[in-house]
Amino acid sequence: MANFYKSLNQTNDIVNTRTLLHEAIPLTGTIVSGTYGVENIKNYSHGMFQSVYDYPYLSSSANHVFDITVGYANNSALSASTNAQNSKKLNIYNQMAQVLMGYDQTGSILQFDEDGDLLAGGTKLRENVFLNFSRLLVKDEIKKGSFELELGVTPVYSQDGNTVFGDRLKLTDASGSSGYLVNSPVGEYGILYATQSAGTNVLAINQSYPVGLLFYQAGVAVLSGSMFLDVSDGGILNNAHFSVSMSGPTTTAETINAVLTGSQITGAADNIRTRMYNLQFNNTVELNSTVYFCRVNHNEFNYSSNPTYLSGSKIRVKTKTTDLPVSYITTVGLYSDNNELMAVSKLSEPLKKTPDNEFTIRVRLDY
Amino acid sequence: MAFYKFEEDDLFLNTVEAYPQNKFYIQSGTVYINNFPNLAGQNTANHIGVPAGFISLYEYNIDRPAGNSVYPFLFKNGMKDGFKVTPTASYNSAQYGDIITSSYSMSASIGRIIASATSNSASIKALENTFNHYSYLSPHYQYSSSLGDKANQTVNLITIPSIFYGSSIKKGTVSLKYYITGTLIGELSDYRENGDLVQIGPVGSTGSGSVAGVVLYNEGFVALTGSWELDSTTIKYDPAAAQTSKWIYYGFGVHDATSVALTTLSASYSLEFSGSNQFQTMTMLAHAKYGELNHSTNPTFVSSSDSLSVSTGSYQYIEQTKEIRNIVSSSFTDEDPKFEKTTYLSKVGIYDKDKNLIGIAKMATPVRKTEADQYTFKLKLDI
Repeated sequence: MANFYKSLNQTNDIVNTRTLLHEAIPLTGTIVSGTYGVENIKNYSHGMFQSVYDYPYLSSSANHVFDITVGYANNSALSASTNAQNSKKLNIYNQMAQVLMGYDQTGSILQFDEDGDLLAGGTKLRENVFLNFSRLLVKDEIKKGSFELELGVTPVYSQDGNTVFGDRLKLTDASGSSGYLVNSPVGEYGILYATQSAGTNVLAINQSYPVGLLFYQAGVAVLSGSMFLDVSDGGILNNAHFSVSMSGPTTTAETINAVLTGSQITGAADNIRTRMYNLQFNNTVELNSTVYFCRVNHNEFNYSSNPTYLSGSKIRVKTKTTDLPVSYITTVGLYSDNNELMAVSKLSEPLKKTPDNEFTIRVRLDY
Repeated sequence: MAFYKFEEDDLFLNTVEAYPQNKFYIQSGTVYINNFPNLAGQNTANHIGVPAGFISLYEYNIDRPAGNSVYPFLFKNGMKDGFKVTPTASYNSAQYGDIITSSYSMSASIGRIIASATSNSASIKALENTFNHYSYLSPHYQYSSSLGDKANQTVNLITIPSIFYGSSIKKGTVSLKYYITGTLIGELSDYRENGDLVQIGPVGSTGSGSVAGVVLYNEGFVALTGSWELDSTTIKYDPAAAQTSKWIYYGFGVHDATSVALTTLSASYSLEFSGSNQFQTMTMLAHAKYGELNHSTNPTFVSSSDSLSVSTGSYQYIEQTKEIRNIVSSSFTDEDPKFEKTTYLSKVGIYDKDKNLIGIAKMATPVRKTEADQYTFKLKLDI
């Protein structure tokens, strides 16, 4: 209990700061597509999405990584009532679009836009894969410019994993750190661009193609099905490379379009998941702090009210009149206006205080 | 959307005290925490990414291969932000803007220190004031008394990290059991709730009723000094010579830098206790009164035949009158039931004084409300 209080100057002694703490989140494709077989993949009876864990999900140690699902717009060329789970795929698209893109002035749901420029119109993303990342990994937001997703686009499908990764596309939000967009109701988002990362002549033209959107605060990646199609099928791959053969609903030589129409959502999710070679991003947590600069002047706090400071009613460290008083500062208490103790900060080792020295003790409170 | 202000009787702050139970089973130097097996993963020797017998403090890196761990980092700036594990020298040598990294592979488990006049004496000496402080509970806490001098005794100090017990170990819940080839040869309990560890079993065993040690509840230590023979079988607890089982050998091999000889495999130990943890909760009572909250801005609240239609002119903007949808169910197909204004309450939003939404409580299923109904929703928030 202090017997001497010193007021903090609101202007000069108290500073509010913000720190950005990040985490690197690497997810190798083998976690997503093979290490544990399907033990870390959870399907639900409603069949509307699939959950991916980092360990067999029946274990209490497992952490949820992301959910994967697919959907298309009602004006997509793929939409047909004869499709497997057609209404669910439409609902998925509409739900994601209304949450992530919002509505126009007529109350209609805005569709995902390839370049994010809603006023200019332009190409819409109507057949999509959605990756909803766990809040455990995204925290406050995905760090802009840090997202990388590498997908195997070797045309021929193979059951044995690695052979689908000979040709690869890398999706990044390369311009995210400076070129992000803010016209979404759920915060900021960036454009995902695809470039060739392995193989030769994979893309129609050796350039980066916009193939999706990444919503930073929501932690959702929206990917276009065009990544797996060649130009003649409406995609971005070289015609000589051909569209990617997925393990479709009936054969292993069907395109992503056949998967999106003929397969259940979980089947489509399996197809895309097994094409994931690598996934990594950094997240951001905002830490707010208040720093209190506690200033100890030369003529202050040189005496102590500790019982051990006295010996025989005399100051223990001051035996002659010429002796300087000495004290050791161990603790700083922060009090309210009513002198109620609100917080205590301890020094790692006591500070020797005499009239010869002054200190500024920096007390930081994170919240 | 209607806003209501919480009245004085609608807000309660309570403190909840929880007593998490912990059980450690120790055999041949391996610790099993709460009967959780030390499973090998595909990529790591222990799937949770920390040594066997430890808990992982973050549980982020489950069975991650080397170089693929989740880790925190920040950029060095003028605020001196950093991680505790970063050595001061390396932090100081980093340039502003450099990345400072840390690790999530942090773990905790019980440990064991054998302190005597000749070894680890500082460990027990450091607790002298603490032992003496609690002597008002029991004379066995005294650092030096007619009951023993801890500076010169062999003291078997079991260390328990606070992550297992919270603010303190709950009095009366500590139980230590000592087994040889699966047979119980000694059991200690603090049933007196004064810190004394009294041998309570097996019935009639040597030392039964004697105090074999004390518990430092707030600090997380169990100090065992009992040196009477519990079993006549000799086991190689001491590398130099075989010994009979005593409380000072309890927990042999638990993270104490001793290698466990094959002859000690027959000894096993269990340690059980409950922690004590306090946390605050806020209870909020949100009232939906008679005749209130009976209107919705949801588009489905009005009849679907009423589309959004407005008449506009140079001086007017008039929305068309809409008919509220009648959703009252009827047993008859040829007769419309009497209209009753009905809403479904699906969530309660909590706002601050500036009307910023700071929390949402969702009902498991929407609650049907008519003008004749009133409800009180009880919201609980752990803080």
